[in-house]
Amino acid sequence: MSFVGLDKVAKLFQIVRANGGVMRSLRKLYMQDELKIGTLIGSDKYGNKYFENNEYFYGRNRWVEYNPKHNLEYDGSMVPAEWFGWLHYKTDSPPTVKPPVQYKWISDHTDNKSGTPDQYVPFTTTPPKIQSWVPPKKSGSSN
Amino acid sequence: MMRLPVHRVLQKAVRHGVSGNGAVRGLAAAPEKVEVFIDDKRVLVEPGTTVLQAAAVAGVEIPRFCYHDRLSIAGNCRMCLVEVEKSLKPVASCAMPVMKGMRVKTNSEATRKAREGVMEFLLINHPLDCPICDQGGECDLQDQSMTFGSDKSRFTDIHFSGKRAVEDKNIGPLVKTIMTRCIHCTRCIRFASEVAGVDDMGTTGRGSDMQVGTYVEKMLMSELSGNIIDLCPVGALTSKPYAFTARPWETRATESIDVMDALGSNIVVSTRTGEVLRILPRMNDEINEEWIADKSRFSCDGLKRQRLTLPMLKNQNGELTPVEWEDALVGVAQALKSARGNQVAAIAGGLADAEALTAIKDLLNRLDSELLCTEEIFPLDGSGTDLRSNYLLNSKIAGIEEADLVLLVGTNPRFEAPLLNTRLRKSWINNELNVGLIGPKVDLTYSYEHVGSGPDSLNAVLEGKHAFSKQLQNAKRPIIIVGSTALQRADGAVVLAKIQKLCSTLRAKGSIDQDWRVLNVLHRVASQVAALDLGYAPGAQKIRDAKPKVLFMLGADEGVIKREDLAPGSFIIYQGHHGDKGAEIADAVLPGAAYTEKQATYVNTEGRAQQTIVAVTAPGMAREDWKIVRALSEILGIKLPYDNLNEIRRRMGEIAPNLTRYGDVEDANYFTQAAQLADLALGKGSLTTDPLDVPLKELEDYYMTNSISRASPTMAKCIQSVRKQRQSKY
Repeated sequence: MSFVGLDKVAKLFQIVRANGGVMRSLRKLYMQDELKIGTLIGSDKYGNKYFENNEYFYGRNRWVEYNPKHNLEYDGSMVPAEWFGWLHYKTDSPPTVKPPVQYKWISDHTDNKSGTPDQYVPFTTTPPKIQSWVPPKKSGSSN
Repeated sequence: MMRLPVHRVLQKAVRHGVSGNGAVRGLAAAPEKVEVFIDDKRVLVEPGTTVLQAAAVAGVEIPRFCYHDRLSIAGNCRMCLVEVEKSLKPVASCAMPVMKGMRVKTNSEATRKAREGVMEFLLINHPLDCPICDQGGECDLQDQSMTFGSDKSRFTDIHFSGKRAVEDKNIGPLVKTIMTRCIHCTRCIRFASEVAGVDDMGTTGRGSDMQVGTYVEKMLMSELSGNIIDLCPVGALTSKPYAFTARPWETRATESIDVMDALGSNIVVSTRTGEVLRILPRMNDEINEEWIADKSRFSCDGLKRQRLTLPMLKNQNGELTPVEWEDALVGVAQALKSARGNQVAAIAGGLADAEALTAIKDLLNRLDSELLCTEEIFPLDGSGTDLRSNYLLNSKIAGIEEADLVLLVGTNPRFEAPLLNTRLRKSWINNELNVGLIGPKVDLTYSYEHVGSGPDSLNAVLEGKHAFSKQLQNAKRPIIIVGSTALQRADGAVVLAKIQKLCSTLRAKGSIDQDWRVLNVLHRVASQVAALDLGYAPGAQKIRDAKPKVLFMLGADEGVIKREDLAPGSFIIYQGHHGDKGAEIADAVLPGAAYTEKQATYVNTEGRAQQTIVAVTAPGMAREDWKIVRALSEILGIKLPYDNLNEIRRRMGEIAPNLTRYGDVEDANYFTQAAQLADLALGKGSLTTDPLDVPLKELEDYYMTNSISRASPTMAKCIQSVRKQRQSKY
């Protein structure tokens, strides 16, 4: 079977089935440019799902599927810190196996806000070149 | 006091072929010219010119530090050494008069070596701090050491004794001194004593202990002190407000006109990134030579303070709040809509330009109103402002150098027009000019005869009872300068009429040339002549009488019109560039452009039209003044027929053609007719007895006179230091 490559066709059917049918698979392909099969390792509280399949080459064997609510507007910075290490091979133990230490001072994860209304805008620290006149408050008007 | 030494006056008199008065021109035969050879090039020059000047005629520039065209010759820097054939030693060309057949070599081996040696000596005691020196990039020493200096240094301080170091002097808030850099050219000393007339600067010590300074720490109490910054060939005297701000190659220079006084001095506005950094003088021999007064030079930081940057309208609480241009113009238009004829008036301040004045005049005329006034008063009795000769400085500023007698009436030219005063002083030094003054005794930096302080002395002079009237009768080129201040009085018309009478009696004697003008009026503000040319009525009395409902103030910041002078419930529109007295009482504020931000026409007190050029764009939402009026007219439905600068200038030319002839003085005439009409004014009133007064008596009065200088922190510092200096025992 592998000699004529029919195993690839079988694999394709397997992947399509794992992704929930033809339409869902096409949608996923559209969204992620890739159609993969793997084990769900875990998900974070933002709804991102993390997969692993070591049949793929190192570097492509761990991936994230972002919360579908973001549609095409997903971004690498949406991966929280606890999953970041596993996803980038800093560690082999995902937070589902080895939960991160919790401190009360750790703030919630925020993704990159550039290009959104919440983006950071630097402000000038130099005084303005022109100082405007401020009208005196409540001048003695005869009107 | 310094006038020319007796022998030089005599020499001059001999040269002119008359004894006594050196100011008389054209009587002596032209002396034979002297032939000299500069680098084998033959030039013919007047006898008495120096080798350096002769070289300039031949097109050769000789390096110099101490020599300056408009100052006396010192000859102490030795940079101008040249080789002269048959002379054993190199000759200081700035101090050497030419002799017949002299052969000068300005580029020979000996000359070059002499220059190199001088440069080496100068650099021994000059610090190598060019990277932190404010003169860097415009430094004569830097340039000339590159051109004429040695290519290598022999300065090896093997004993580490250090270079000469001199303590810095504090000479006030305008000029910063770093005296270690001083090369003792003495230009500042000569300027202070000759041009500014303040003999405070000098040298102490000799040899390498020589120091330039004021000996005891004191402020340089002069209204022209900024010019020593330009004169200093090195970075010893630099501008304090401009310190460490910019390098000359970063700035952009725009040639413009000054509006701080009525002379219209020519200036260069230095800007960088939309900010006026400094103002420098521009040469114009007809007006300011190459000096400008401190207010013109240093009040430019007032252009960044207290600016009107947004249109404002009063809200229900009676507070001015920023609005959009459209809302502001609509609000103003609503107020103007119902007003017709005498219900609407306009008053122009001292910094208004001719274009804006034209636009407002056209607008108000279309609203059937003729109530267009200026803040400055000028008497309207007699021929009033109908004849231009009545309100101009007819002799012209440069004409003062030809005069032999000047009578100042009710003016202090030292502070009202500092550069006119330097002309008077120049003539007083070089031409034996005699000056008389009617008015308060003020320090004019030269001696004058105080004729009297009240208008009664004017009568005495007119009737020939005063000793001074004899001088006046005998003068061949007399000038009478009436200050605008004297005409602000209730009896201003009579003062002017009396002076016109005096002028015509002097002229009637026949000893005065036909083309010589006697009567001169010295204005205080830059806009006045243009406003009068355009047909504005001087003084706000017409407005007070008419009690209009709507008042349009164009930069009127002197507080001449108060809300009480108008009809109850009146609407005041202020258009201008600074938040001052005018904007405070306004119901609507339209932000205009200051003189560095618009291309606009100003006419100086001689009647010379000149234009400012845009150096920076107006801040925030501020716009050029005439454009605001033009936009307002469109909203009112009476669109003014000009859309660009050329078109409004064509309109200006229709009203007064001289307004668009830039750089020229349009001569005014009809002196005899004016004098005849002046009799009408004489019949109407008589002189009061209160003495003539001037508001600018002392230096501290000089610094703040208009909305720009009032907003300037530098000018405030000047006033403070002058007051402090007055407390000092020196």
